[in-house]
Amino acid sequence: MRLRAASFGFGIAFGFLLAWTQLAEPRVIRQMLLLQSAYAYLIMASVVGISFVVIRGIGRLRLRAALTGMPIVLERARPARRHIVGSVLFGLGWSVTLACPGPIAVQIGQGFFWGVCTLAGVFVGIRAYIWNEQRSARESVEAGPATVSA
Amino acid sequence: VREYLLDQAPWYVAGPLMALVVLGLLLTVGERIGVVGGFSSVVERATLGRPLGWKAWFVGGVLVGGLLFSLLAGHWRVHEQYFWLQHRFGAAGVAPLLVLGGGLIGYGAKSAQGCTSGNGLGGCSVGSPASFVATATFMATAVGSAFLWRWIF
Repeated sequence: MRLRAASFGFGIAFGFLLAWTQLAEPRVIRQMLLLQSAYAYLIMASVVGISFVVIRGIGRLRLRAALTGMPIVLERARPARRHIVGSVLFGLGWSVTLACPGPIAVQIGQGFFWGVCTLAGVFVGIRAYIWNEQRSARESVEAGPATVSA
Repeated sequence: VREYLLDQAPWYVAGPLMALVVLGLLLTVGERIGVVGGFSSVVERATLGRPLGWKAWFVGGVLVGGLLFSLLAGHWRVHEQYFWLQHRFGAAGVAPLLVLGGGLIGYGAKSAQGCTSGNGLGGCSVGSPASFVATATFMATAVGSAFLWRWIF
């Protein structure tokens, strides 16, 4: 319950900031991607820069998450093919719609009708991914344990 | 308040505030920020009957945050045009292109295990090599293809 409330609250703050920075507006993202404005890059760089330094600083303290009591695990995955292929597809979708998932949610909250179309597409894409995963999981089971790769 | 909100927030104000969101989620919930995972949680709830996770609540908050902003700023976007798509492809072309683009976003972000917030903000902040690679890839692709669209259309 507290976990949900905290997530919801942080979400509100994030959505409010995406609206205030106008990063949920296609016009602003187009200026970003056509390198006509440094604004969005300055936002991304400052968020990552500040968070990175703070996380580095507190990483040695072995903190636990305040609401769960669990140790905070900093997942540092190794790059794989999926990250590159997925991000190419993601980048193409982003440059067409000029919105990524956070701004899409904000658009709907702000009454921007077109965000509903983009979100419908996102749902279809996620469903297709899950379907694909299930299919390949089934196939590897049918093929027997010998072909299951690590 | 309204005039203040209608001016684009200075990056040196909004950036540190967003960093507080990234850090706050990590320190209280113990999780990396991410949005597409929340949409995925909704899809999994609808099609597989899995319970909604914290990510879905986060996404719900993001939507409400946009709503709250519009309420306070008195600025709604009901009549806003999708100017670049409408200009090139006409009003009838906008919806299919958005669904197609959205599909690429959903499938791509799930494959890459993160979107602009999940990999770009959250993953890079914890120093994940996979997120650095993903972020460099989607930034380069998006910038390159944006120039390509402008050149072709």
